[in-house]
Amino acid sequence: MQDPNRKPRGGNHGKSNRSLLRRTIFLMVVLGVAAFLPLVAQLYKLQIVQHDYWNERAANQQRKNVSVSANRGTIFDREGRTMAMSATVYKLILSPMGVYGSVKEEDYKTNAEYQQALHDKRAMIVDWLVDAFGYNEEWLWKRIENTKNAYVEVTTELEEEDAEKVREFASEKKITNFLYLTPNSKRYYPYSSVGSHVLGYMSQNKDSGDNKVGAQGIEAVYEGALSGSLGRVVTSKNGYGMEMISGYEMYFDAEDGCDLTLTLDERIQAMLEQTLAEGIETYDVQDGAFGIVMEPKTGAILAMASSPDFDPNHYSTILNDGLRQELEAIAAEKGEDSEEYGAAWNAAWNKQMRNRALSDAYEPGSVFKPITVAMALEEGIVSLNDTFYCGGSKVVVPGTPPVHCHQRSGHKEQTLTKAVMNSCNVALMDIALEMGPDIMWKYFEDFGLFDSTGIDLVGEGDPLIWSEEEFKGPYGTMSVAISSFGQTMKITPIQMITAFAAVINGGHLLEPYLVQTITDKDGNAVYYHETTEVRQVISEATSSTLRGILESVVSDGSGHNATVNGYRIGGKTGTSEKRDEKGDDVICSFMGFAPADDPQVLVLIAYDSPKRSGPGSNYTASGTYISGGNITAPMAGRLIGSILDYIGVEKRYSDDELAGADKPMPYVIGKELTVAKGQVQNAGFECRTVGAGSIVTHQIPAAGVSVPGGSTVVLYLGETAPTDTVEMPSLVGLSPTASKNLLEEKGLFLRATGVADYNDPSVKAASQVIDVGVMVPLGTVVEVRFVSTIEYGDQTSD
Amino acid sequence: MARKAKRDRTIEQQLAHGPVDLPFLALVLLLTAIGLIMVLSASYASAMYNLDPAVNTGGDPYHYFKRQFLFAVLGIGALFVMSRIDYQQLRWLSVFALGGSIVLLILVFTPLGRSAGDSDVRRWINLFGIRFQPSEVAKVGIILYFAARLSKRDSQMGPPKKWNRRTLVGRMGERLERIGLLELVPYVVILAVVLALLYKEPHMSGMILITVAAASVLFASGIGLHWFVAGGTLMVGALAFLITQTKYMTARINSWLDPLSDLSGDGYQLWQSQIAIGSGGLLGVGLGNSRQKYLFLPEEHNDCIFAIVCEELGMVGACVVMALFALLIIRGYWLAIHARDRFGTLLIVGIVTLLAAQTFLNIGVATGAIPTTGISLPFFSYGGTALAIQLAEMGIVLSVSRQIAAPKAE
Repeated sequence: MQDPNRKPRGGNHGKSNRSLLRRTIFLMVVLGVAAFLPLVAQLYKLQIVQHDYWNERAANQQRKNVSVSANRGTIFDREGRTMAMSATVYKLILSPMGVYGSVKEEDYKTNAEYQQALHDKRAMIVDWLVDAFGYNEEWLWKRIENTKNAYVEVTTELEEEDAEKVREFASEKKITNFLYLTPNSKRYYPYSSVGSHVLGYMSQNKDSGDNKVGAQGIEAVYEGALSGSLGRVVTSKNGYGMEMISGYEMYFDAEDGCDLTLTLDERIQAMLEQTLAEGIETYDVQDGAFGIVMEPKTGAILAMASSPDFDPNHYSTILNDGLRQELEAIAAEKGEDSEEYGAAWNAAWNKQMRNRALSDAYEPGSVFKPITVAMALEEGIVSLNDTFYCGGSKVVVPGTPPVHCHQRSGHKEQTLTKAVMNSCNVALMDIALEMGPDIMWKYFEDFGLFDSTGIDLVGEGDPLIWSEEEFKGPYGTMSVAISSFGQTMKITPIQMITAFAAVINGGHLLEPYLVQTITDKDGNAVYYHETTEVRQVISEATSSTLRGILESVVSDGSGHNATVNGYRIGGKTGTSEKRDEKGDDVICSFMGFAPADDPQVLVLIAYDSPKRSGPGSNYTASGTYISGGNITAPMAGRLIGSILDYIGVEKRYSDDELAGADKPMPYVIGKELTVAKGQVQNAGFECRTVGAGSIVTHQIPAAGVSVPGGSTVVLYLGETAPTDTVEMPSLVGLSPTASKNLLEEKGLFLRATGVADYNDPSVKAASQVIDVGVMVPLGTVVEVRFVSTIEYGDQTSD
Repeated sequence: MARKAKRDRTIEQQLAHGPVDLPFLALVLLLTAIGLIMVLSASYASAMYNLDPAVNTGGDPYHYFKRQFLFAVLGIGALFVMSRIDYQQLRWLSVFALGGSIVLLILVFTPLGRSAGDSDVRRWINLFGIRFQPSEVAKVGIILYFAARLSKRDSQMGPPKKWNRRTLVGRMGERLERIGLLELVPYVVILAVVLALLYKEPHMSGMILITVAAASVLFASGIGLHWFVAGGTLMVGALAFLITQTKYMTARINSWLDPLSDLSGDGYQLWQSQIAIGSGGLLGVGLGNSRQKYLFLPEEHNDCIFAIVCEELGMVGACVVMALFALLIIRGYWLAIHARDRFGTLLIVGIVTLLAAQTFLNIGVATGAIPTTGISLPFFSYGGTALAIQLAEMGIVLSVSRQIAAPKAE
């Protein structure tokens, strides 16, 4: 039975063949042509459109960019001492993949043996590293077992001596392929913390990658000159990070950095730091100290220090003992992991890294007075002959409380010079009010109080000064009056000393600077700093007058304690309130220069908050009256003396000083007493005799020994001089005369330093070089330091 | 064995001694030669570093190339042998080919089967010292059997069976036969068995290729289009289910869409492949100068060899290679159209479609046009037995081409 719908077989066959043909052609078109179109489109997209993108990706992973460090320049001080230098150290590189590959599985019969051998090899390396350098064992094991890693920096600063050990070990064990050294550079600061704030330090930052860059001070400012330009080697690497033997390579030569010669003198810097440290210890100073030594004629900074400081070789450790003790106390109480400890550590670190002499604005106080006087003299508002009356206080604006002078009883009638010597606030307010805000504002600007000084350091602080409208406006009168003695405004120490330099150097406001020359590696100077004058502020005549006034301040005024025999020193003391802080802490400062007629050095020192012996007390626990004149002036005077000695300024003594200067003892043994007496007196000594003979048999001191003139020497007539020693008596608190008598009774001699004014009843011995109770031979010259206690400071009182 | 004189041959024999299709042969040999050169270039680095734990190259950079070369020679030998066999013999041999394939696929699960490394994947078998994937044989087996059986679909199937319309079964049977389902049953069963065995291995790409090859033969033979629509819908549905419902497939798709999100996994290969292709640019970095082959690009001489072609020879070189493939495929279908009988046509359609599918899927994966599947590039990817079998398949095509009647001279 046939289906009627079915077509005859042959026709069916033909239809089937046509279908076969159609369908095969369909497949041919789809698979032979159409399918390739999206593929070509995709290739076009990747290879042509996105080519740059993928090419960069490829370069990123295929190239190894090795930087070749340039030698960083050396920093010298003005005498050529090396302050900072770079030396070659080594990175110790371990390739865990190399270690893994060096033990071949097929060399061992069983897997266990192979694993053991691999472990032994690793242990051999790890144990040696731990043994030789004390590295963290756990850390090393973790790294060495990561067999995919071909590059582990075990350490980055291996010194030559240790590097040699590594080389020996690696070659002995034949593992140089995966334990090797690559050169690296390390910065050394041979004088450790001396000048740390100026020099700065080296550290990595987020842009520098592996390389350390200057992070503060000269290192940061002159990064470009010091670092030179980094060289590069571009090589190709494979997917496992290994450098390829025959890849293309490109070299970019490294260019060494330049050397810097600073104006800073390491010796003076050390003296300054020493002075700050001594003052902090002696007067129990709580908030640190800062100081600057400048060459007033050029603006060259000879020294600049801030305490607490740090050691740039190990800048991440807290150097200051006091800060460390505070931290240890917190650590003991809260633990080293506590938030408090972390915060305290950060605060301490920030403190020690801060260059206060550059960055922290402060109220300069009375040190500012010479600037006010200078502008008044220059403008002819006052003259040396003017007199001022101080009744102890002044009502500046009617209806407001009076502004007191520090001496409540008042300085009474006084000349201009005397007013500065007294550091009289009332006189200065009178001058300022007479001048008026317009003149003062102009001079503030001229003295550079509104601008940064331009010193070549980073982080110069901003001054905190009234706005012009405020100062010149109707409510500015009080500010005008008080600003005359340096309160109600804050300027940075570097601004203060730069302005002061203009007062005494003939009126030239100079740009302070630290780098004298920049020299390239071939020794060619590429930069030399010429003295840069910003402007002439006052005339040479005014400046000269100020020098005279300021010399009087030291020779006979509030700066008396800065006296150094043989040198003419000028200066001004300052005891400034910290008006923006609670409490009664003050900053005791002194600005001094010498020689007064031809200033070679200008020194600013300030101690922040000497500790009072009790609430409301004006004395430190050691009994010193808290003021710039009593605390800072003696320290500054000694520093100035040392600096002048060091730079070789000749001492010139007055007649009085000459009489008291050291003289050699003549040889008088065997002489007639009268002859001997004559010789001794001619030599500038007094004498007393022991015994009843007429021939001198012994003398104290021995011939040739230098003894201060006017001392009483001992001549023995027939008696043997005692050879034993005597006990050193306590002299602190005695007057110079009493000290001299007491010592000479014992056969010792006095060499007085500091304020050795025999007529001034306020002068007392402050310290002696030889401690009480020490047994000293007869004839020893004992150095005793005298200070005059000035019972009024130069403090603002209101 | 003395050859018979030409006049003594039967017509069949004379037909079987016609000339092979030279364009097709030339394209095959050309692609094989280019493929060999690319294997040399691509495998150089990994052979030198000897980092494949499964293969010990002994640090010989030519290790892979030497083996591939040897198999290429063997494969070309197989090609000539196959091209000389009268393909009509394959009609009855196809039963054994299919049966043998299934046996081999089962043997994979016996100790004869070798799993690569310590994974549970069992795709390889070691027989008489030859290591190969039975799925390669199964592809040929299925194509041969389906072509042989489907070629008789119209002409030699005999009269339609008489159904007893009085019974329900009879009526159902007649109905099913009329819509063409009944004749599909044996193919579906065979395909299901083979796919099930491959799924067990598991061997996803093998399943795809066998399905495509089988479908192409069924398609060409005139099976109703509605069945392909139905089957295609079913597969798309299943695929959508897998992609959305299984973590493994979802991750795969995600790493395809955004290779950077999965750089430690599947995304890495695609990312590196794209870097290789993209950095090649228009003209490439030059033959042998690939940087990506230095341990960046995984599978660089296997599945990803086309990326190395793109990197070294640029878009121009890659397009030339693709053009050669396209020409080979087009020529293949041209031969299918002109084949002497339906069997020859279906045979070539199966083999060429298989080749085209592999080519398309491999290049698509390397360029990121389609999601990652591990399919090798014919004539290029490293793998000796696969290459030899590939060439043997080409031999079958050539064998068919011999019996094409020469166009009559005008």
